[in-house]
Amino acid sequence: MASKRFILKRLLLLVPVLLGVATFVFVILHLASGDPARVILGQRAPQEQVIQLRQELGLNDPLYIQYGRFLVDAAQFDFGESYVIAQGNSVRSVLADKIPVTLELALYGQVVGILLGIPLGVISAVKQDTLTDHLGRVGALSGISVPIYWSGPMLILAFSTYLSIFPASGRIGSTIFLDNHWTLLGMQLPLTGMVTVDTLLLGEFGAWTSAVTHLFLPAMTIGIYSMALISRMMRSSMLEVVRQDYMRTARAKGQGSKITIMKHGFRNALIPVITVIGIQFGSLLGGAVLTETVFGIGGIGTMLVSAIQSNDFPLVQGTVLTFALLFTLVNLLVDITYSYLDPRIQQ
Amino acid sequence: MSTDTATTDATALEDRTFLDRLRSSQFLSDLLSNRLALVGLTIIIGMVLIAIFARFSYDLGALRSSQLGTVSDRLAPGWTGTGAVDQHIFGTDASGRDIYKRTLYGAWIAIKYGTVTVAASTFLGVALGIIAAYYSDLTDNVIMRTMDVLLAFPSLLLALALVAIFGAGLWKVVIALTLVYTPRFARVVRGAALKVLEDEYIEATEALGAKDPRVLARHVFPNTLAPVTVQSTLNYGLAIIDFAALSFLGFGAAPGMPSWGLMLSNGVANGLLTGKWWMSLFPGLFLAVLVLGFNLLGDGMRDALDPRMRETVD
Repeated sequence: MASKRFILKRLLLLVPVLLGVATFVFVILHLASGDPARVILGQRAPQEQVIQLRQELGLNDPLYIQYGRFLVDAAQFDFGESYVIAQGNSVRSVLADKIPVTLELALYGQVVGILLGIPLGVISAVKQDTLTDHLGRVGALSGISVPIYWSGPMLILAFSTYLSIFPASGRIGSTIFLDNHWTLLGMQLPLTGMVTVDTLLLGEFGAWTSAVTHLFLPAMTIGIYSMALISRMMRSSMLEVVRQDYMRTARAKGQGSKITIMKHGFRNALIPVITVIGIQFGSLLGGAVLTETVFGIGGIGTMLVSAIQSNDFPLVQGTVLTFALLFTLVNLLVDITYSYLDPRIQQ
Repeated sequence: MSTDTATTDATALEDRTFLDRLRSSQFLSDLLSNRLALVGLTIIIGMVLIAIFARFSYDLGALRSSQLGTVSDRLAPGWTGTGAVDQHIFGTDASGRDIYKRTLYGAWIAIKYGTVTVAASTFLGVALGIIAAYYSDLTDNVIMRTMDVLLAFPSLLLALALVAIFGAGLWKVVIALTLVYTPRFARVVRGAALKVLEDEYIEATEALGAKDPRVLARHVFPNTLAPVTVQSTLNYGLAIIDFAALSFLGFGAAPGMPSWGLMLSNGVANGLLTGKWWMSLFPGLFLAVLVLGFNLLGDGMRDALDPRMRETVD
């Protein structure tokens, strides 16, 4: 079947890209200034200890051996232990802790963006070249132009500092403590790490409300940006579809009003929008770095920033590789979805 | 085929180049009739004038040094009537520095480093894209697969990873962002160049004995200018946002520099919960307006160059 071949081909193309990504991440450690052994032991440690640790870490081995070892470890998702930030903990466990936090933020932001962006784009297209359309377009363009690290603080100032409707930072009220597992039919199960899900699993509705109010402003911050991109794509995609031959046929057959026509086109117009949503989700993970910093959320973004500042190389490598992997996989998923929706792509 | 006809053919086809379209002024008149693009252009020119004014009127050293002791810190703008001194129309920051002067100087920093970033990535991307399109499979593959690897990272994340290698600093951030944006240009240019190369007139010029560099410079390059110009303009806004983002995260400007990103990070750290809104409002507003200017202009240019966009739904 053609689509199976298409997916297989795309998966094979992933191999060299991921190998390149891994190589780049390996290079980070070796080009960055600072001796890892010195970073772990601190500035005051005696030179002999540093030399010994270098030996233990395998830093004196030839580069190709270190590279081979890194690739084998990376394939098993093993990046060793954090040097500084979570000293002694494996990078894998740190990432497992932090990824759900960032993912939750990005998901809610994306939902806000889709719920606002698609209707806005459709309205703009239906009312093309009217005042509504112009306002919508300038609004969407402004949404892209406003950086997250400005819209976030402005939302905090308005809704938190002055109106006191939403909290300014954190993920949940500071007086709330959650169990670290939940019970289903007598079994103890691990939590997801996403606080709006976990509070529900634990049946703590007060805590859930707190979690949702904490997430509101960060999700809006990401959502505004995402809304702007989605509505622009939705608008131009609608207008593109309306020009197609089959739309002309529909009109010739007597589908009179512009709105009926637009209804016809909506499904098809969604296809490129799905691409934008997918591609954008990857960069939302990047944007989460800024949002987390503004709102003091302890996700993977804030952790990456402090890992870079303190030369915690294994943590930097693990985070960067994970992000790239997620980003690439999301893009692949988007391509595959797209090829199902529009089989012409496969050629 | 006589030499004469071949030359005429080539000239006729060259009509479609970007420069000619500029000269024929269909492009310019389209662009100028786009009111939003004009607004964008006006914003950009205004900001450039502000930047130049600030660069030559204010002393960077004075803008950087703490004014504590002579001026109170975190004063609200004078016109709010909350007791601040009148000469600080944007208020003062946590070190008692005048936010108005610093915000204006921030325009110079944003435009200066943004321009270098965009120029460098445009140049590299155009060169790599044309070479990839023109030369054999191997060269093409080596270049484009490298670009694929760079594109496999979310852009801000790649910038952060590169900063982890290079270290913090304004020029290092410029290098990092240049590497982040180059693949986008390379892709766009390669696509456009391949289209030109498919056209027979390249074959014709080669048959006439034109050497590689001549074909690339005279025929391929001009035809990639249109998409590159749009991409550069839209990328300008992104470069300014990302550049400030890295300063905001603490990797760009050195402490005290009047860069918008750093000013915003100070505003978040020292003024957010206490309601010192002016510390965040003004630098961010200038930043957003400048980026909006580039996006408006970029959008208008794309519409003017893509005739399909002119058609309207009846």
